[in-house]
Amino acid sequence: MKNSKILGAVMAEVLLLLVCLMIRPDFFSISYQPSTGMLYGNIIDILNRSSEITIIAMGMTLIIALGGTDLSVGALVAVAGAVALKLLRWDVLEYNTPGDYTVCNFFWVLVLPLVVCTLMGMFNGFLVAKGGMQPIIATLILMVCGRGVAQILTDGKQFTTGYAPFKVIGQGAFLWLPVPIIITVVVVAFMAWFTRKTAFGTFVEAVGINRSASRLSGINAAMIIFIAFAITGLLSGISGLIYSSRIMSNDSNNAGLNYEMDAILAVVIGGTSMTGGKFSLAGTVIGSILIRTIVTLVYYFGIVSEATMAFKALIIAVVIVLQSEPVRKYFAKRKGAAKS
Amino acid sequence: MRTKLFAFVLTLAVLFTASSAFADVTIAFSQIGQESDWRTANTDDITKAITSHPGWKFVYDDAQQKQENQIKALRNFITQNVDYILFTGVVSTGWDEVLKEVNEAEIPLLLIDRMPDCADKIEYEAAFGGDFVEEGRRQIAWVGEYLKAKGRGDEAVNVVIMEGTTGASAQTGRTEGNLAGLKAYPNLKLIAQQSGNFTRAEGQAVMESWLKSLDKIDVLIAQNDDMALGAIDAIKAAGKVPGKDIIIVGCDSVKAAFDAILAGDMNCTVECTPLYSKFVVDALEKLIAGEKLGKEIVHPAEGVFDTEGGIDLGTVTSQKAADVIASRVY
Repeated sequence: MKNSKILGAVMAEVLLLLVCLMIRPDFFSISYQPSTGMLYGNIIDILNRSSEITIIAMGMTLIIALGGTDLSVGALVAVAGAVALKLLRWDVLEYNTPGDYTVCNFFWVLVLPLVVCTLMGMFNGFLVAKGGMQPIIATLILMVCGRGVAQILTDGKQFTTGYAPFKVIGQGAFLWLPVPIIITVVVVAFMAWFTRKTAFGTFVEAVGINRSASRLSGINAAMIIFIAFAITGLLSGISGLIYSSRIMSNDSNNAGLNYEMDAILAVVIGGTSMTGGKFSLAGTVIGSILIRTIVTLVYYFGIVSEATMAFKALIIAVVIVLQSEPVRKYFAKRKGAAKS
Repeated sequence: MRTKLFAFVLTLAVLFTASSAFADVTIAFSQIGQESDWRTANTDDITKAITSHPGWKFVYDDAQQKQENQIKALRNFITQNVDYILFTGVVSTGWDEVLKEVNEAEIPLLLIDRMPDCADKIEYEAAFGGDFVEEGRRQIAWVGEYLKAKGRGDEAVNVVIMEGTTGASAQTGRTEGNLAGLKAYPNLKLIAQQSGNFTRAEGQAVMESWLKSLDKIDVLIAQNDDMALGAIDAIKAAGKVPGKDIIIVGCDSVKAAFDAILAGDMNCTVECTPLYSKFVVDALEKLIAGEKLGKEIVHPAEGVFDTEGGIDLGTVTSQKAADVIASRVY
């Protein structure tokens, strides 16, 4: 059952890429770019630019499996960027030409944004797990005021930096690949290990299916929920560092805008049900890559700006419909009929 | 006790009349919110000019980018019976009713920056705002004239246009100007248009894809500087030299764009100034003196800044960025 859902997302992705291959065979060409020390091609771009959403969606998968949602992730991306840039450029409130330097120790530039975002995630988790609030309401608080916090931190201004080590996070190369891809692989691997090699994943599914029953069987449901929100906060912070490193500045208005929607979409395309229960991290990764593939196609094939939204909506609607229960049952029946 | 109270009330009354006699003109400003550096500069400029003007009292409302807040603010201004209202709307529609209320209260209205769609149905004293179409035209004209100056006037050149947020007045206006401008320069060939949503990150991603899908890009027209700055990173990542292999023209003229021009990464930026105070103060002084101003929209004088200067665009001649950077305030 679960595998067939992932299969839907995989098939959609493969189909989409096949269409590209037919229209423009050179879509898949990959070359080596000596000036950056990276591989260069559309596939690399898709993987690279899907990083932010994939990383957040790892946490979102857990929260959706618990039967909730986290709407604050996009705002946390902005907060992480604002904290990092504030530490890098503490000295300038007035505009100055950005240079290759940092005001605070680089260690804190990396760690403090993550700490702040984790604390904000814990705040969400506390409201949901202990306060008994609906996740959609609890996380709405930070969704709304998170960007305000980011604005206050940077005095409503956009700071720009030229600090080279910071640039590595979003634009650097490692093993001929863009660093965001490497970070994503590490995060996904860790989350896969954490949910499948420890009991955490099973606990999440148990709480998502029936919170009362899981509590009666001795699972600390509140703690599981709290941890899931804290993890999502941390992952949003990582995503925020990548985003701000790509543009070497903070953009409190636009950083992470609508990321919550893309992350939820990635999870749903990946076959995890919004009602909670069983989840699939692999499906989420594919869902996220699928979303980015659509965006890249729009840019690559020059679909007019006005039609972009409709084009995205159309593809996603088709994927979601294909995954719906009645459609899958219909296909299963036909398959059964063909066999007999 | 009674006399004391009476004296107190009397003092209050005297104070009140006195203060209203000194601050004889109250000017209220309903601003959209702090959405960008441009907007911050716009607010600071107007606030500073009015508060420092003798005899003027300033009432400011920040609507946090919500129309309902702005409507509330306008109604508050009516209740407070302010003398003049400065208004720029977060969206273009839905203002008919509240602006008619302002008219009925007989409070003179000054429209600045973004004009409401209902402007022809209401009374206002003056209007002042940027000319997006002209900015778009100037972007293209600069490229055309620059190439002519370089002796490449007849060379076929591939142009891509990176648009702003689809439907925003700056996007529709600048696109209109871009496309109109292209007609005057047959050697410029438009090969792609796409929205970069006015942000650095999306400008980067769109350019990244274009560099792979299009054979040869000679000119990038970005409808704001942020997208141009994002695109510069993508061009560098593709092993090309921004400003040389690809001519880059931005819009807005923020300081970061000046830095990019000085560094040779960018070629030109067309100004879209947020500094409205000169006009606002001038218009208010005239209105207070009893003069009438026209209903047509007055546009600010804006420049074009590039690496060398001296490119004649008909309505304006470009200035060298290095010469003016010191005087820039936003």
